[in-house]
Amino acid sequence: MGYGLLAFILKRIGYAVVSLIFLIVVLFAVINIILPSPIAKARIYVRNPHVPYSELQAIAREHGFYKPLYVQILDYIWNVLHGNLGMDPVYGVPETQLIMQYLPITLELVIPATILTVIIGIVMGAISASNRGNWKDLLVKGIYLTSWSSPSFFIATVILLIFAYDLGLFPSSGMVNPLLTPPPNVTGFPILNAIIAGDTTYLVSSIRHMVLPVVSIALVSFGVITRLARSSLIESLESDFSKLSLMKGKTKSQVTYGVALRNGSLPIVTLVALLFAQSIAGDVVVEDIFDYHGLGYYLLTTGIYQLDYVALLDITLIDGVLVIVANLIADILYAVLDPRVRIS
Amino acid sequence: MTETAKENKKDVKEEPTSGIKFYFHAIRRDKLGFLGLIIVLFFFGWSILEGALQLIGGYIHRESLGWALLPSDPLKPSLFNAFHPPALSWTYLLGANAEGESILSRIFYAMPRDALVSVVVVLLAVAVGMLIGVIAGYVGGIVDDLLMRLTDAILAFPAIILVIAVAEILKGNFNAVIVGLSLVWWPTYARLFRAQTLKIKEMDYITAAKLYSVSKVKFFFKYLVLNTIDPIIAYSALDFGNVILAYSTLAFFGIGVTVNIPELGEMASDGLSGLPLYWWWPIFPSLTILIIVLGFVLLGDRLQDIIQGRLA
Repeated sequence: MGYGLLAFILKRIGYAVVSLIFLIVVLFAVINIILPSPIAKARIYVRNPHVPYSELQAIAREHGFYKPLYVQILDYIWNVLHGNLGMDPVYGVPETQLIMQYLPITLELVIPATILTVIIGIVMGAISASNRGNWKDLLVKGIYLTSWSSPSFFIATVILLIFAYDLGLFPSSGMVNPLLTPPPNVTGFPILNAIIAGDTTYLVSSIRHMVLPVVSIALVSFGVITRLARSSLIESLESDFSKLSLMKGKTKSQVTYGVALRNGSLPIVTLVALLFAQSIAGDVVVEDIFDYHGLGYYLLTTGIYQLDYVALLDITLIDGVLVIVANLIADILYAVLDPRVRIS
Repeated sequence: MTETAKENKKDVKEEPTSGIKFYFHAIRRDKLGFLGLIIVLFFFGWSILEGALQLIGGYIHRESLGWALLPSDPLKPSLFNAFHPPALSWTYLLGANAEGESILSRIFYAMPRDALVSVVVVLLAVAVGMLIGVIAGYVGGIVDDLLMRLTDAILAFPAIILVIAVAEILKGNFNAVIVGLSLVWWPTYARLFRAQTLKIKEMDYITAAKLYSVSKVKFFFKYLVLNTIDPIIAYSALDFGNVILAYSTLAFFGIGVTVNIPELGEMASDGLSGLPLYWWWPIFPSLTILIIVLGFVLLGDRLQDIIQGRLA
């Protein structure tokens, strides 16, 4: 049995690796369609438009732009495997350094947001499943369909208007009160740093700035979970073990939230990966609206407005890796929880 | 339980289980689904009308034809009316932006582009996904493995980030946005078509068709595609909305936006600078997107119910 699980995991890891290689090839192909000549790529490294041609050639040679495409791809993969993501043409520092600076900030938003999404999603799903057909079910459906259909900037704007401007409960933008001195950077995660340094004022300020973006991301993406939780809970509520618990004298809510939820939440595990991807996507918009300087901000300001293709390549790669890893974990978790999956 | 049983019985009584008439009646039985249908029809109807006016106006060099049906010229600034709050006049029903342009006019002027993007992207995605999904599902083996890994690779991206990357590298004009969106949109369809193909692959009529040695093109379209397409129709109805959402997000970042052509997402992002005082500036364009997408979602949801009920 243990052998079967191991084989399953290895196969999934193999799939993930192949997907990643495809991902890199697609990205390179796209970049090469757009920036077909080595000189065009070299131009991004110099901001000065009057650079002599020979200098551009030198830059192109230095970065290996004259090599055939497959060699460039292999070189890139080789470098990535050695933890070298290339130099950023705009800032002139290693890409790893920039990503190490911005990624933790994004994760600080996306991880709590994903957890919150799952909680909201399951609770709403449970409410609607245990009230199937009546007005509560309809209300939940209305809420999640609306959230599903709204652009993420709409939800973020409304939240900003209500909670920051009208009620004044939370700050409207930024990551922390700019007057506070940040605690020493140990982990890269500002909140963890504050906890380690025991700086409560900084911690509270960071968390207060975090609330609205996190809630916005969660409200954008909880619909998928609600829908799945509802259908899976209905199935589980109609099964024999739920009926047995009802007959044993448990109350309806005990059965819904205790028995049925535990057995019905299995399919939701696989969705978490998808959700994570959605949160990252929603995060770009939310970071823009709340002026939060994470990976999305970096992607927009340098990657896009300055056509920094190295940053684009690396950020897309990292997002892809995050999602593929999340997917992998979900697959494995599912296989551990439900042995039937391993067979097929 | 009883409701679905009743519906199923009704379906049995009414002979036809496909065709436009069947779908129309089935949709009309559900109020929300019907509302969705009305929103979608209005959206496409208006887009065709307004789009045609704008095109003709462009050809005969009389751009004013483009806003003949609107309360005011959406592109004419009138600084006297800057930040005019929503009021009970057609022009300023939804207020005005910083340049004093009517937000209502701009919203209706912008709609045809959203319609065009959603139709083109969904059709392209269905076509590519159909080709890849049906081939992967039917041929199987190493072809299937490779095609599906490619599909996974693209699905692994947060779509919007890849679109931003592609559209922006492609110099960010309108066509680039369509290419970028189509590039990331097909994998879902490939998966759907593959799953459907696997389901029907071993059925008797496929074997029969093979025995009769039907021509390859006919086999592909008539026997494989036609019998896999139903669930995909329902999904694509929902997907029009997703494309519009993605497109507005791009416009929100200023990607694919042309000067002097209003865009819903772009209006929303411009309007952020007017918060909190001029709330109508970002809110109404975003709300318009929400309503349009909700129409597609309601319709798609209903279609999915109908098809599931029928296939079950």
